[in-house]
Amino acid sequence: MSLAVTTEQEDLRTAVGRFLDARSPVRRARELMAGEVPHDADVWRALAADLGVQGIGVPGEYGGSGVDVQTLAHVFEEAGRVLLPGPLLATLGLAAPLLVAAGDGDAQARYLPGIAAGTTVATVGWLAPGAPWDAVGGAATAVRRPGAGWFVDGRVALVLDGLAADLCLVVADAPAGPSVFAVDAAGPGVDRRRVRALDPTRGLADLVLDGAPGTLVGEEGAGRALLDAALDRACVLLAAETVGAAQACLDASVSYAMRREQFGRPIGSFQAVKHKCAEVLVEIEGARSCARYAAWACGASPEEVPVVAVLAKAAGAEALFRAAAENVQIHGGIGFTWEHDAHLYLKRAKACQVLFGDTRAFRLRLADRLGL
Amino acid sequence: MTDSRTVYRAARSTAAAVDPGPEAEEFRREFRAWLSEHAPPELRGVGWPAVQGSPHAAALKAWGDVLCEAGYMCVAWPREYGGRGLSPVEVAIMNEEFDRAGVPRVTRGRAETTVGPAIIAHGTEEQKAYFLPRIISGEHVYCQGFSEPEAGSDLAGLRTSGVVDGDELVISGQKVWTSGYYESTMMFCLVRTDPDAAKHAGISYVLLPVAENGPGTGIEFRPIRQLTGRSGFAETFLDGARVPLFNVIGGLHQGWRVTVTTLGHERGNRATIAHVGYARDFWAVVEEARARGLTDDPAVREKLAWAWTQIETMRFSGLQLLAALAAGQDPSARAENGSVTKIRWSEYASRFGEIAVDLLGPEALTAGGTGEEGLGYWQEQFLSSRSGTIWGGTAEVQRNIIAERVLGLPKERKGAGR
Ligand SMILES: Cc1cc2nc3c(=O)[nH]c(=O)nc-3n(C[C@H](O)[C@H](O)[C@H](O)COP(=O)(O)OP(=O)(O)OC[C@H]3O[C@@H](n4cnc5c(N)ncnc54)[C@H](O)[C@@H]3O)c2cc1C
Repeated sequence: MSLAVTTEQEDLRTAVGRFLDARSPVRRARELMAGEVPHDADVWRALAADLGVQGIGVPGEYGGSGVDVQTLAHVFEEAGRVLLPGPLLATLGLAAPLLVAAGDGDAQARYLPGIAAGTTVATVGWLAPGAPWDAVGGAATAVRRPGAGWFVDGRVALVLDGLAADLCLVVADAPAGPSVFAVDAAGPGVDRRRVRALDPTRGLADLVLDGAPGTLVGEEGAGRALLDAALDRACVLLAAETVGAAQACLDASVSYAMRREQFGRPIGSFQAVKHKCAEVLVEIEGARSCARYAAWACGASPEEVPVVAVLAKAAGAEALFRAAAENVQIHGGIGFTWEHDAHLYLKRAKACQVLFGDTRAFRLRLADRLGL
Repeated sequence: MTDSRTVYRAARSTAAAVDPGPEAEEFRREFRAWLSEHAPPELRGVGWPAVQGSPHAAALKAWGDVLCEAGYMCVAWPREYGGRGLSPVEVAIMNEEFDRAGVPRVTRGRAETTVGPAIIAHGTEEQKAYFLPRIISGEHVYCQGFSEPEAGSDLAGLRTSGVVDGDELVISGQKVWTSGYYESTMMFCLVRTDPDAAKHAGISYVLLPVAENGPGTGIEFRPIRQLTGRSGFAETFLDGARVPLFNVIGGLHQGWRVTVTTLGHERGNRATIAHVGYARDFWAVVEEARARGLTDDPAVREKLAWAWTQIETMRFSGLQLLAALAAGQDPSARAENGSVTKIRWSEYASRFGEIAVDLLGPEALTAGGTGEEGLGYWQEQFLSSRSGTIWGGTAEVQRNIIAERVLGLPKERKGAGR
């Protein structure tokens, strides 16, 4: 499988793009973010039923069309472009890859078909309140009661799309070390609290677990390895999402710079404005190269993934931030208004930089993984 | 992870990422076998292009002759013009194999990558038959006579004049920043042949023999010392230099479109290869940093990780370009845009030069090395890296090009930038 974009990928991308423009343009993100849960269940189901999007992250034997991250990444670019709210990243970036990595037949048969069909929203929770992103363990504890199974207690912070989720894979401390437990997110013993977010288009929740029944996923003690695998995948897809969002910012900047006139000519003819746009383009092209390579590597060069995933996430988040910030600037006063979409991208950009670890942390992680 | 492992990794993933097809793989096998038999051991680890006064100059020339003899010179040119008709993917494979074997790919430099393609695109059959074989053989080594004291970024503002006299052109004026003048036998230069025409319409693209330059020949180079201490470029004084009209490419007064072809190649031809040398320097700096016990410092680690991200970005974008070409696609205007590539590598190189020198600590202050002015390798790299954002069109001019030609933003004023 080469790095070239195939006709099928191109077609899917066009179809997803049309669908999102019709059903979930940025205007829709604004409506959703005013409510409790930034998620449109109809759009989610239609993405699965009409376009087969969720199936792209699920192996064929569990109701999907096979795991094809390279193709999925194109969908994420489109989703990023319109700031699609909802659990794409949580479900296809974190939960599905974790389930696949766990190689646990029972868990896969139980959860993956629902994910592929768009009937299950899934997410992963591991962060202890106040802990850094790379701390695994300490958020929750799991105990086994003879004859009754596992029960999970604790407090898990900043769970992506925690309120929209049906299933939460919680990394909890078990006797053999951090382990993954499947918890019914709407079930007994789970109290979900909405977290008001800097980026209101991405849902966040804290989960308070009080004797919540859980099912062990994969080996006991495998929590860190499984979470690492899932996070790498999430970073690859997040990188694609940031590239799509950054491109939307640049497109907005350029079209405004051609329309808006000052001093009797379009502001886009001023070099100060032109160079901003050109710099943003150079950065986006670089980030896109990284994101597409990382997505390709997931299928074709897996041993590179730990390095390229980290690198692509950092490059994408930086490019998006630059594009979003310059977009506000190029729009002048209008760019600073609530009415204009520029701030939604700026918020998404900062949130993407911080999510899973900021760029400095990512560079240090990259240095570790390179063996510097 | 070591230097060789990195380079090899790049080679491995090109095959996988690009899916070059059975013919290209066949070429790889063939060329690898040829190279393992012929690669000169004395050139192992020697860099290319050779710097002025390189102790390996003779060996490099001999190796060039061997490559020439075997038909491995100017390989991207069509077969009918003495090339090998290799696709960009096959050229990339060839570069990888040279790299794998650890010997330099001797090329014909700017004659191969800029003048040659311009002659192929715009020359007459007679011109192609005369000039192209001489580039391949190494008889014609070109320097570039574009810039003038008053015309740099505004290249079309040039004043050097060419006056038709019978079947000759008589050239007078001054060029500047002529790189590689010391090894050249020819100069491709721009002259104004129609002073009354519009700025871009009166220019001719001339191949001027300079082998016998000096007082009395109408051509004189005066070396200019660069900030590295070397004199890599010169002022060129043209005073009634005569050249047959045969040497005008693309037609009299029609030189601007030939120039555009040349500039495009000048900017674009590092897209798939730049990362290899940068990766080599990167791992060398990592070794230095390790030896100095600096790699535990998070600030240093962060800088190095940033550098690696840039190098990989160059590799990834080059691979995507090749993958698109191998799949028979027309790569997007953006991905293939030489200006994007040029800004990326030139600004990276400058920043990396700073990082490398910073790592030297107090030693950065002293000149105890073997280079010009006693400078060390990293000090020289730091200094010379500052030219990448100037030659071939400055970074500012590249940004203008991106803004206007890729993003479609309006021109600031007519004809801003080369
Ligand atoms: C190492 C080296 C090797 C070279 N080799 C050759 C060679 O072999 N042959 C040859 O012909 N030339 C060569 N050059 C010349 C090179 O192409 C020119 O230096 C370059 O095009 C810039 O022109 P200039 O030096 O006249 O600078 P100027 O054009 O005077 O530019 C000065 C500054 O003004 C800025 N500027 C100019 N116009 C604009 C604009 N429209 N918008 C924004 N900013 C602008 C520039 O970006 C720059 O920062 C070489 C240069 C170097 C440094």
